[in-house]
Amino acid sequence: MRRRAAGRLIAVVAEATQYIQRHQNNSTIPDRAMKLTSRYSVLFTAATALVALVGCEQAPAPRFHLNPVVMVSNEISPEYQQEVANVLAAMFGTPDAPYALPESGLNQQRLTLAAGAAWSDKQGVDRGLYRKHCVHCHGINGDGRGPTARFLNPYPRDYRQGVFKFKTTFNPAKPTDADLRRVLNNGVPGTSMPSFSLLTESEVDALLEYVKYLSIRGEMETKLAQYVYDELGEAEKEDENGNPVLDEDGNPVMERPPFDPATNPEQGEVVKEILTEVMAPWQEASDQVIVPAEDGIPEDNRTPEEIGESVAKGRELFYGTKANCFTCHGPTGLGDGQQNDYDIWSKEQKAFQDATAQLQESIVSQQKEIARLGREGKETDEEEAKLAADEATLALRQPVAHSFYPIRNAIPRNLRKGVYRGGRRRLDLYCRVSAGIAGTPMPGVGAAAPGAQGTLSDEEIWNVVDYVLNLPYEPASNPQPALPWNSDQIAN
Amino acid sequence: MSSNAFRRMCTVFALGAAVAVSSTAAAAEWGTVKGKFVFKGDVKPEKIVPNKDTEYCSKHELVDESVVVGDGGELANVFVYLNPGRGKKLEVHPDVKPADKPLVLDNHGCRFEPHAMTVWTADKFEIRNSDEGIGHNTNASMLFANPKFNEQVTNGAPILKQFTKSESYPSKVACNVHPWMNAYVLIRDNPYMAVSAADGTFEIKNVPAGKHDFAFWHEAKGNLKDLKVGKDKADRKGQLAIDVPAGKTVDLGVIEITPALLGK
Ligand code: HEC
Ligand code: HEC
Repeated sequence: MRRRAAGRLIAVVAEATQYIQRHQNNSTIPDRAMKLTSRYSVLFTAATALVALVGCEQAPAPRFHLNPVVMVSNEISPEYQQEVANVLAAMFGTPDAPYALPESGLNQQRLTLAAGAAWSDKQGVDRGLYRKHCVHCHGINGDGRGPTARFLNPYPRDYRQGVFKFKTTFNPAKPTDADLRRVLNNGVPGTSMPSFSLLTESEVDALLEYVKYLSIRGEMETKLAQYVYDELGEAEKEDENGNPVLDEDGNPVMERPPFDPATNPEQGEVVKEILTEVMAPWQEASDQVIVPAEDGIPEDNRTPEEIGESVAKGRELFYGTKANCFTCHGPTGLGDGQQNDYDIWSKEQKAFQDATAQLQESIVSQQKEIARLGREGKETDEEEAKLAADEATLALRQPVAHSFYPIRNAIPRNLRKGVYRGGRRRLDLYCRVSAGIAGTPMPGVGAAAPGAQGTLSDEEIWNVVDYVLNLPYEPASNPQPALPWNSDQIAN
Repeated sequence: MSSNAFRRMCTVFALGAAVAVSSTAAAAEWGTVKGKFVFKGDVKPEKIVPNKDTEYCSKHELVDESVVVGDGGELANVFVYLNPGRGKKLEVHPDVKPADKPLVLDNHGCRFEPHAMTVWTADKFEIRNSDEGIGHNTNASMLFANPKFNEQVTNGAPILKQFTKSESYPSKVACNVHPWMNAYVLIRDNPYMAVSAADGTFEIKNVPAGKHDFAFWHEAKGNLKDLKVGKDKADRKGQLAIDVPAGKTVDLGVIEITPALLGK
């Protein structure tokens, strides 16, 4: 069974690659275009030739683009980029014709309903749901860079890291289908993410399937790029005895092993393994649901005194160092504590920008060093070679670094507003507090995995939830039982 | 695609798997790799001005630890580790046992102690908070092979973790309450790794005899691409093939690290 699945995967990759090769051998436009495009622009046009198969619209069919941050940080050459794009196309198809690879466990029918251009068929069934409802924010790649994205705060989610915030599972786990459905039905209150509660159930199912598809595709892309960086790449050619092959001048001959799982069974096996790694957490999501202890769940019919007692305990925890909420959410819950940090989406871009700026500085000091060595009459061949390589890398990095929207800090929520992005049910807040909010600085205080020991007990978490729900009604001037001693230093 | 061709694909695939398994050869003999890193440049560790828990944290005269250099240029916190290649397992010397007690990463004095460490998946790993009355969280959302986590750590209640998979690179661990705090933890499913100490030295004992790729990594730059080690040079991934003879110690001597190599 598994072997057959792998065979299918290899076969699919083979078909796509053959198709692309045929296409290129015919010396049609893509081929010439490929030659003309500069090293850098290949990144953004890394076309999946398969698109042409299904493009029946007037306008050029939208294509998936490679993730420039992933490609440039892993130093993936244009040739390898094309090959990664080919493999992704073979596994996932195109925005117009998504392919549910059997191993991915995705549902082909749902994907087909969600994908493609927006139109209604003869029966009046809406098609192309993602492009109709989501693409202007989340983008064709699911990178959160649709045309409206730049103007929104928070920015629409980039699905490609496979990390979701508002879910009932433990911090590192994927959301369940029910979690994604809840987000689509309720939207994300307090952000531009609208509610899609007016769509039919099957439409919502199709859309959540498509979100998973883009997410899995994005995770796959990153892992494939890492594989290419780690295991492939230009290397010295060796003869049968493992000795380097030399050219006429005695220099080692270099060769580039292609990334082509269709013809290379070992690579086929690796691609299959990576897909299994990516899929496993999605398949296990339903085993990772947080279930508060039955006997700890507060009753609905508590007396005001009982609630008051719980709120008081929660307040003490909130402003104490054990739960430590106040350090981020501030001495009065306004969200004005630690505001200097970033979420993982911003961190990825910030790290990329910082490394680019560092490289630029390094180039300046290298130039100075070469000038100094030159004045002393010393050899600088090696230094100049490194400088040239760094300058080439900088030329690749800069346009990517400049393409980001302004990077924003992750601001802890103002809890006095009583708007909860992940839902206002007590259970929603229990999950937020217990698991933290994945991808953001907010840590969890409950068990980190099934059966693990949390920093706070179940009861304490419910106390904190009661306090959070009470916070909007608590006068801001209310003296805090444990006012942080440095509160005067925190700007309001 | 014809069913014949399909079957051929499957056969090819099965062969590939067989090859991968047989390449884990048995090794009964062992050697040692050691060396010392020296930084050839100036670093002025930048002072950190805490913006949270300021009174407590300011007492500790915190400095940026991204490049830690001794008086004689000794470079600490360089990771050296054996990379057997994707999916390959290594034999472990019978005397090499996981540590009796968990390896500890402590939140102490508003920094992580140690700043750089290695964890074998056979070891247990514990996160502590020894800063009395100060709340810390430990955010490991940069893990890739192992489950990420981000947890509040309180005094007297350490968090215990057991990892199961190798990470390709040292992973950054952070505290979001005090965003200047970070540490690097290398998690591998074999014990063949080291971090250079304050005197710049490192030693990896009981390595299976034979030729292996060793990776050199430093947080300021990542892979130490083109690092010169004796007469040899690490490749674009900061890796170098080193022949480890049975019963011998390979002394790589003094390995010089230039500012340009660390991107300075
Ligand atoms: C007007 C812009 C906009 C539109 C249209 C939009 N979204 Fe969003 N979406 C957002 C924003 C902004 C966020 C991020 C919220 C946050 O991070 O708090 C988001 C977040 C999400 C999330 C992540 C929730 C989580 O738990 O982390 C999902 C899933 C999602 N959107 C799916 C969709 C789907 C499917 C559609 C189309 C049916 C859609 N969105 C349409 C703006 C939009
Ligand atoms: C390290 C900083 C940090 C700490 C500590 C922290 N939070 Fe948060 N919290 C955040 C950030 C940042 C967000 C916004 C996350 C987002 O949606 O992007 C947030 C969001 C929230 C939300 C909003 C959830 C929603 O659905 O909108 C609640 C409630 C909350 N935190 C409660 C708490 C409680 C209770 C504690 C203590 C147990 C706590 N936080 C500790 C940083 C922190």
